[in-house]
Amino acid sequence: MADTTDSGLGLNRIGLYAALALLVAFYLSPLESAIMTAFKTQTGFFETSPFVPPTPSTFTFDAWGQAFERLEQGLVNSLLFTIPATVLSATLGSLVAYGLTNTKWRGQAFVLVLLIAGIFIPYQSVLVPLSRFWSIVDVASLFAWLEPVANREGLVALAVTHTAYGIPITTLLFRAHYQALDDSMLEAARLDGASIAKIYARIILPLSIPMFAVALIYQFTNIWNDLLFALVLVQNPANDVVTMSLTSLQGSMVSQYNLQMAGAFITALPTLLVYIFFGEQFAEGVAGGGA
Amino acid sequence: MAELTLDHITKTFDDGGDEIVAVDDVSIDISDGEFLVLVGPSGCGKSTTLRTIAGLESITDGEIRLGGDRINDKRPQDRNTAMVFQSYALYPHMTVRGNMAFGLEESTDLSDDEIDDRVTDAAEMMGIADLLDRKPGELSGGQQQRVALGRAIVRNPEAFLMDEPLANLDAKLRAQMRTELQRIQEDLGVTTIYVTHDQTEAMTMGDRIAILDDGELQQVGTPLECYHEPANLFVAGFIGEPSMNTFDARVDGAMLVTDDFEYDLSQRHRDAIGARDDVVFGIRPEDVEVGAETADGHTYEVTVDVVEPKGDENYVHMTFDDDHETPDTFTATIGGLRQVDAGDSVVVRFPPEAIHVFDADSGEAVLNRSLDTAEGVDLVL
Repeated sequence: MADTTDSGLGLNRIGLYAALALLVAFYLSPLESAIMTAFKTQTGFFETSPFVPPTPSTFTFDAWGQAFERLEQGLVNSLLFTIPATVLSATLGSLVAYGLTNTKWRGQAFVLVLLIAGIFIPYQSVLVPLSRFWSIVDVASLFAWLEPVANREGLVALAVTHTAYGIPITTLLFRAHYQALDDSMLEAARLDGASIAKIYARIILPLSIPMFAVALIYQFTNIWNDLLFALVLVQNPANDVVTMSLTSLQGSMVSQYNLQMAGAFITALPTLLVYIFFGEQFAEGVAGGGA
Repeated sequence: MAELTLDHITKTFDDGGDEIVAVDDVSIDISDGEFLVLVGPSGCGKSTTLRTIAGLESITDGEIRLGGDRINDKRPQDRNTAMVFQSYALYPHMTVRGNMAFGLEESTDLSDDEIDDRVTDAAEMMGIADLLDRKPGELSGGQQQRVALGRAIVRNPEAFLMDEPLANLDAKLRAQMRTELQRIQEDLGVTTIYVTHDQTEAMTMGDRIAILDDGELQQVGTPLECYHEPANLFVAGFIGEPSMNTFDARVDGAMLVTDDFEYDLSQRHRDAIGARDDVVFGIRPEDVEVGAETADGHTYEVTVDVVEPKGDENYVHMTFDDDHETPDTFTATIGGLRQVDAGDSVVVRFPPEAIHVFDADSGEAVLNRSLDTAEGVDLVL
């Protein structure tokens, strides 16, 4: 009796794992093909199937070296505006959420409605006003006294734009978290003599770390991957961001797939690193822990 | 240490145009070092009253004085009160030491060493000195409760405000903490207001209890006063477990007539009742004599409906109309070793010295049990 049940279970298991293995192969095959392609010479790419590993004669690091060389400036530029925009939008979102949940003032609901509406404004619809705005605000002369910034006016514009665009969604993320905090804990802090700013710094902020991980990862990925705003706001080629550099890898005559694949991996690497770096807190934040 | 005065305080909330009166003209004087229990059913305004004293809610009208100083315009942190919350409200990311030191760091200029000394002293007093470096999440409910109390003690406030601090503990621990809290309060001599919905806590812990219902103060008095001499029907029903038995009654000459029985009134009774026609007759379950032998105008034959054994005593629910499907019952408590079974027919007596009479319209007590014979009644039972 027990034996048949066991073997029945065993068969089920085998079926299950076979199905899972197939699914894994199905989902990972494009990724695997891309990696294999990135390590092949152009000839190797044309002569073998994309998912077949390169032979010693068609194996090369050239594509990686070349892609990195052509993306290097873009990577630096992207980091230059993505990091400040990510940190600022998360910090400001947290502060706004604190102001909207744990203090009482008139017009709170109206501000919240504006923020929620802000989440749903599509990028495309603001392109014209956005480019008009940044043609009026002359970053170059505003920062004339600080040459490194003045030379990167497109990046400053991107950092500010993405910060502003990110505040609604980060506010909403933090707001949900702060609403779940124990009210009497904050009242206890008030009775203990802590000011509103102190309560934020000593209680709210330390309890927000998992939420910060969520907001930082989300914002970093979003901002890093954006191409549309960059196309509109970056005029000086020296300020091209990595997504723009990546499109230029496409070539006009011959498609160098190995170069494009290597470039795509290099471009995606920072977002991957952010996930790995904040992964633990991210899981905690998504699970609603921390409070 | 200071006396606390609530002087005609009123608190109304605005609920979309409707005004909700949470606290209605409440005045209480709490003397220095007194332990006052604020008790009432949920929604009676007791927590709101406490929060107005803490400064977490503003008052609409009236005045709150602590040690003679008017405090109702002061910010919460300037009032020198410490509050203990039902949820403990500990800071989860700080150690026990951090939790206890927080208030001193934020509201005083004490040096780190002085703060550390005071935290250690308070922790020793609460028996949590070995937990100082743990975080609240690693502590049991009882230990968290001690930390919450320790956090209040370390502030050395002029008044403790406690909002159902024992409600989240299990029954055994609650009973233990009850006595411990009383001991600590006595040692420190700090004026304390303790909010609870649990009338056992009210009876056992307070020097005096204040009973609130629907935002209005019903009675302030010692636990025994409130028990034996309730000011009105609400207090009579709220204080005491099981509740006082009440019967609507009509005055007919020298008799009280209820739907179920007629009761002979003495001269003392009649004097108190005066010209009233409609009254409510009340008697505590432990004052009902079960199995009375002498028959007089106060004895009745009733049927036992349900018996609830408690071990030390039995709650016997009895009825006058046993042929009814769901009969109206009244309760008597008898010794745990006395055998009474459902369906038994017994004779009960309502001793004339133990009865209460209330005005049917206002609910005000017009006659309470006479206390000089209380001892004798106990002996008869």
